[in-house]
Amino acid sequence: MSDRIALPPVREERLENGLELVLARREGVPLCAVRLLVRAGSALDPDGRHGLAHLVSQSARRGTARRSGREVDEEVEGLGAELGAGADEDASYVGLSAPSEFLPQLLDVVADVAANPVFPAAELSRIRRREVAGLAHLLDEPGAVADRAAVAAVFGDHPYGHPVDGRARHLSACSRADVTGFHRRWFGPGNATLVIVGDLDLEAARALARRKLGRWRSAAAPAPELPPVAEPAREVLLVDRPDASQTQVRVAVPAFPRASPEYFPAVVANAVFGGGFTSRLMEAVRVNRGLSYGVRSRFAASRAGGFFYVSSFTRNETAAELVDVLLSESARFREGGPSEEELLRTQNYLCGLYPLALETHDQVADKLAEIKLYGVGEEEVTGYRERVRAVTAADCQAVARRHFPVERGVIVAVGPAKLLRKPLARFGPVRLLPAKSLV
Amino acid sequence: MRTRTPGPVLPLDRVVSHTLSNGLRVRLLEERSAPTVSYYTFFQAGSRNERLGLTGISHLFEHMMFNGSSRYGPKEFDRVLEARGGTSNAYTSNDLTAYHDDAASDALQTIVDLESDRMRSLALTPETLEQERQVVKEERRLRTDNSIFGLMEEQLEALIFLSHPYRWPVIGWMEDIERITREDCLEYFRTYYAPGNAALYLVGDLDARGTLELVERHYGEIPAGPRPPPVATGEPPQRGERRAAIRFPAQAPALLVGWRAPEARSPDAPALDVLQTCLAVGESSRLRRRLVEEDEVAVSVSASYGWRIDAGVFLVFAEVAPGAKLRKVERGLEEEIARVAEEGVPAAELRRAQRLLRSSVLHELSTHNGVAHALGQAEALLGDWREAGRSLSQYEAVTARDVRRVAASWLDPTRRSVVVLEPEGAK
Repeated sequence: MSDRIALPPVREERLENGLELVLARREGVPLCAVRLLVRAGSALDPDGRHGLAHLVSQSARRGTARRSGREVDEEVEGLGAELGAGADEDASYVGLSAPSEFLPQLLDVVADVAANPVFPAAELSRIRRREVAGLAHLLDEPGAVADRAAVAAVFGDHPYGHPVDGRARHLSACSRADVTGFHRRWFGPGNATLVIVGDLDLEAARALARRKLGRWRSAAAPAPELPPVAEPAREVLLVDRPDASQTQVRVAVPAFPRASPEYFPAVVANAVFGGGFTSRLMEAVRVNRGLSYGVRSRFAASRAGGFFYVSSFTRNETAAELVDVLLSESARFREGGPSEEELLRTQNYLCGLYPLALETHDQVADKLAEIKLYGVGEEEVTGYRERVRAVTAADCQAVARRHFPVERGVIVAVGPAKLLRKPLARFGPVRLLPAKSLV
Repeated sequence: MRTRTPGPVLPLDRVVSHTLSNGLRVRLLEERSAPTVSYYTFFQAGSRNERLGLTGISHLFEHMMFNGSSRYGPKEFDRVLEARGGTSNAYTSNDLTAYHDDAASDALQTIVDLESDRMRSLALTPETLEQERQVVKEERRLRTDNSIFGLMEEQLEALIFLSHPYRWPVIGWMEDIERITREDCLEYFRTYYAPGNAALYLVGDLDARGTLELVERHYGEIPAGPRPPPVATGEPPQRGERRAAIRFPAQAPALLVGWRAPEARSPDAPALDVLQTCLAVGESSRLRRRLVEEDEVAVSVSASYGWRIDAGVFLVFAEVAPGAKLRKVERGLEEEIARVAEEGVPAAELRRAQRLLRSSVLHELSTHNGVAHALGQAEALLGDWREAGRSLSQYEAVTARDVRRVAASWLDPTRRSVVVLEPEGAK
């Protein structure tokens, strides 16, 4: 097995208007993955307008200078594609997977939606009502409630601390002027990257992209730098679900931004600790104690910061035991690091499976977009195996010392407060968080 | 923008197909596009093969397959595989149980060794059974007992089927999960996990002929095993609508409507996939447009037609918008289905659905795992792996008249089953 990971030859170019163009031709099914990313996400939501970036991306497709929202849907779906639009904390996206023969028509729609949305008032109101109604249903998913509570607790008042899809009260307050203003301020070619990967002719795709987006003009400003993330105090956040027979548990702690030298040591340390089926956590929680069906940990890293979290669930009676195991396994890893056998097995696992993360046009397009957004370089992909193999047991232990939750971090439990309050109090001060405050 | 004439998306003529003397079917496809292999083992056994009192044994048994065999102790399966750059998982359905391993191609020999060892000599200890029983109960609490859709779907199947084993959930009733014994598991293994009831699908960076020899060497000596007993598949006709309500803490009501639909082999199956796409795939689909966009009575709506060996289920699920009336959602759904049954769909809408289905098949077939799974699913549900290469042309052959006919004949309002969620006491 060659140790280098092959990416298809990537052709990059910056157009005169500032748009970054990334094209790659690959063998495979006759489809092309298209991603247009704009470096403006929910971190730029103004105070009192949480969810604005999300609302902009959801409503931009509801009408442009040349097409109504219905026409956008009919044109795209009539050609066998589905338009995806959304935001995360750092960026907004428009994308689709196009049958190769329809790429010109579909790229025209993508460009139109990103550059020329008109946000018709009636459509905007409708999307706002739909999003608010969707948030109410979210309260019925205990896992989603726990995830939201964990993000809010870790990041607090930081721009990453509110949910990307916003809060009902904030969304309702977003006016059309807020929406058009956000778009005007941040959506422009200088903030944007267009990625197309798949069964295409590079020269023709380049000419096509220039034709569709080369004339895009905008005074959009680059997004400002965000402040660092502050350390939250240890506490137990309880979201009451009186009738639940199972408690959702999260333990979360701030970590590092995406473009960090800690990235690879953290990938390896996390894989040993809570990544796959043979992780420490899986063994302790599922195999040895039968406490849960699933448990996992993950470093989530964005531009300005990130966090480490552990996620699981168990029947109400064993919630405290589960938290105890999660924390004591963190402590054990911090003290001893991985064994040589664990380290080698995990490195083989990560290196052997990495090609599966780059098997489809969509996966490659997403990876290229991620590289551009975080400025981490292709070498992260092509040199993945060398970098994973270079991580030592001491590196893993150092990551755990800095980021694993033992004394630090917040604990979230979603379940019957009456049963959980007392047993969980030994992990820190308990605070009851109304579910409605999360949406 | 196409740069070359595409070959067939699934090159069936390059699939090497062989049956060992013990009945094990082996299908191999060499595909060098990524340096990995995907390895599927399909057992023709699912909740369909169970009986009351032992519901959920197929799924519980799936968990037991990761707990040791004669040459690999408990916990070793995944450790050995991961150390060679691989990963494994499995799922159980009404009709089948499928195990898959995805790995760097040089791990192939290890996979053959691991998989053949557990087919030959699974270890079933009382300790691992008790541990997995707890894990499965937690899985049931997660996916069913604390999930609105899980509760409603379980209720719907029990409404649609009175006597067919599709009546009970794949994960099983809680009391049955508690009741299953080690002897039940041993008997299940002898009956359903013999090579004659199994098939292997290997796709990826491999040499088909050499790999077939490797498979023959490792699996060839496993004894053939008995023929599994036939499944009692009778089901009386449905004479009128069936309804059930679930009271559960929730923010807003929800609606789940289902019809007994034909088996996957039916000539109507591709037209039902097209109908499902017209109804609820994409923003411009009929139900999304009507219920979410125009009437604003639902937050989301989805439809599915699951392919099964025996009767399938065609279902529509809608989350009602807070403050909206459930009966408006139900009426809108009823009217839209009646409209397709009376008027059919225009040519442009049919073409839209066919193109969306084509893209979805292409996506499925763009990975080694997707190809291996498609071959296995086609053989398990349709009786022939070659069917996996035919779905594209079958969708192309569907006419607007077919769509109208299947809507009228299968989505008959007097033969539907309805489950409503009535929210109680949620704050």
